[in-house]
Amino acid sequence: MRPVQASASLRDVTVVFDDRPVLRDVTIDFAPGLTLIRGPNGAGKTTLLRAIAGLVPLARGARAIAADPLFIGQRTMLLRALSARENLTFYRRFRGLSADGVEAALAAWGISARDRDRPVEQLSAGERRRASLARIRTEPLAIMLLDEPFTELDDAASSELRTAIGAARDEGRTVIVATHAHPELDALAGATVGLREGRVIVE
Amino acid sequence: MTGLGRIGLVAVRELRAERREPDGIVAAVTFIAVLVLLESLVVGPVVARDADIAPALFWIALAFATILATMRSFDRELEDDALEGLVALPGGRDALFGGKVVAIAVVLAIVALVGGLLSLVLLDLPLALPLHLVVVVVLGVVALPPVVVVDVVLALRLRARAALVPILALPVLVPQLVAASRGASAAIAGDAVGALSWAGLLFAFAVVYGVIGLTIVPAAIE
Repeated sequence: MRPVQASASLRDVTVVFDDRPVLRDVTIDFAPGLTLIRGPNGAGKTTLLRAIAGLVPLARGARAIAADPLFIGQRTMLLRALSARENLTFYRRFRGLSADGVEAALAAWGISARDRDRPVEQLSAGERRRASLARIRTEPLAIMLLDEPFTELDDAASSELRTAIGAARDEGRTVIVATHAHPELDALAGATVGLREGRVIVE
Repeated sequence: MTGLGRIGLVAVRELRAERREPDGIVAAVTFIAVLVLLESLVVGPVVARDADIAPALFWIALAFATILATMRSFDRELEDDALEGLVALPGGRDALFGGKVVAIAVVLAIVALVGGLLSLVLLDLPLALPLHLVVVVVLGVVALPPVVVVDVVLALRLRARAALVPILALPVLVPQLVAASRGASAAIAGDAVGALSWAGLLFAFAVVYGVIGLTIVPAAIE
């Protein structure tokens, strides 16, 4: 699967949870390259990513996306009782891809051969997060949505993630990262969107 | 990847997780085994062998086993947002319902096999039409999970779902339980036409609730 030029956009999007607007009239176009979503806790960063991924109903507005995205949320999205290898193989097969490359991707993210076959709940939080981020390599889609991807990562893994994000950007993929920290990403970003109380304040 | 292929992938993933962490199936098998053992003690050996009593208790136990297995399955999915990972995939919402129903039906078949054999041996049930009984049990096992999976999905984000799911599911399951119990009774008593008629009704329930589930679960999961 070769990444292709792609983009996503939200037009006048409002998302409401329990009568409380979490996103308000948000209009953004995402071009290929790295876009950072910045904002304090509760600003609506996660909801914005989930809106792009089509995981939340829109109370108002429209979403357009050129291709199915890879969405990696704040939690690892790995099913307990299965190993990291089985989880990543499942995700690849579901997308119609072979299981090739899963071992290499997990190895590249520092998951040892033994740990690759252990149930994910027996791994440390950092190992689970790294196994989850190995999906960047095993599902090389044109659009990637990463929600606070640096959570639980040590310095070495954080550096690995920055490299992976930079490589995806250089391949022409649309990478959208929500994070309230990691200013070093600013140098890689083509655009930064600031959110506060569900509204875009900087673009 | 076809829709059926995706359903198969979800079912295999579910069964693999259940094999590694068989808490749900162990609890369900233990529950039905204890029920069969207690049955003859509580109602007496003569009544326990009645062709109406034993199947009714057996199917009530299977209904609870379905609820237990389905709740366990979705609890595992909610941990670490594995469910969101699945529904974020293209075709994931559509495959969720079918995959869960297939996997839970397989789990239920194992529970039914153990419970059925225990009932036949311990209660010494005189079984007139074994093949007809197998048909009724297979269709009953297929008819129960769609209702429970739909109910669990509808109650997924509610804190009180452990209490709500049985309350929501059991009234809807009554027609299936009646059909399965009457069909099994007919097979035990030697009424071939009656057993197959009830089996046909179970098949219809499975189709109707299968279509309902395939239609509303992708929307409800949002």
